Amino acid sequence: MLPLSLLNAAQNKPMLVELKNGETFNGHLVNCDNFMNITLREVYQTSAEGDKFWKLRECYIRGSTIKYLRVPDTLLDAVKEEQNRAREAGRSARGAHVSGAGQRGRGAPQRGRGMVRGGGPARGGRGRGRGM
Amino acid sequence: MDKPKREAILDLAKYVNERIRVKFTGGREVTGVLKGYDQLLNLVLDEVQENLQGLPEGQPTTRNLGLVVLRGPTITLLSPVDGYEEIANPFVAQE
Amino acid sequence: MDSLIPFTTSGSLVDCVDRKMLVVLRDGRKLQGVLRSYDQFANLVLEDTVERIYHQDVFAEVWRGLFLIRGENVVLLGEIDLDQEDEIPLRQVEWAVLEAYHKQDIADKKKREDIKSQVLYEQKGFCKEGGEGDGY
Repeated sequence: MLPLSLLNAAQNKPMLVELKNGETFNGHLVNCDNFMNITLREVYQTSAEGDKFWKLRECYIRGSTIKYLRVPDTLLDAVKEEQNRAREAGRSARGAHVSGAGQRGRGAPQRGRGMVRGGGPARGGRGRGRGM
Repeated sequence: MDKPKREAILDLAKYVNERIRVKFTGGREVTGVLKGYDQLLNLVLDEVQENLQGLPEGQPTTRNLGLVVLRGPTITLLSPVDGYEEIANPFVAQE
Repeated sequence: MDSLIPFTTSGSLVDCVDRKMLVVLRDGRKLQGVLRSYDQFANLVLEDTVERIYHQDVFAEVWRGLFLIRGENVVLLGEIDLDQEDEIPLRQVEWAVLEAYHKQDIADKKKREDIKSQVLYEQKGFCKEGGEGDGY
């Protein structure tokens, strides 16, 4: 799950965008592209100092001015499930026609790490991560 | 599912003849009526007002620029003026 | 897909995936979270992120969740040793307690930097540095 794929999957989800100049925008993602340019709707803008606030119906933000985006915690899991579903569908479709040679087909094998990560119990990294 | 976005993600046609607010790298900010645009986000705005910042108290806060071409690469933020308003802190309840 | 990015650049992050990482941003913010993904620009996906602030020998942290960080804003990315991360001579306090001190530290630092750059410009013949605004 590349960062920009995650952003793509965040469409219609609420998010917080902070720009390099410190201004923040809370809104729902309408659209995004591979430059990280984004459009938001129902936006609350906050000044860099955090003392002024504006409401915007919608806005377009140039990707190069973004510092970071905060997206819903549930998004990663949702995307992984979606990927697994897609992979399963692809595998069964291929399996019906291709034998053996299908191993190096498009999609699954080369993404080995991704698959380990994607599987349900393999979220072990998370457990280790929260060392408090 | 990773469909690359080749076409513009912003349809500027819906803003033609509407007043929009534009911010630039460096912090300048203008509003104006959108008259034309291209795929690089270069804009033509009419009746442009620049919102001046960082001036001493009592100085005018805007100046009129008339008909202006805005360079797309320097634009950082674009939003319609309609539905734009300064509000009280909307996050106090959540903090 | 990770391995297709040359090892010499952001490809060297391959071993950091699923590890708890410290990320320091250009604005000085310090985030800790599990690196889930990255790309050729070193854009990062950081899960279960907490932000930490420090003041003298105390620190505080607050939950921030899932981040997508634009790579160019990162100055440091380092793996956190889970066996040693708690062995620090620092005391944890409530975020609300420490926030004001931290903000003061930032303001003080900015003031010092402003004075320094003013002296460098006016007396020492240096040119003006570009501000860290939205232009970098």
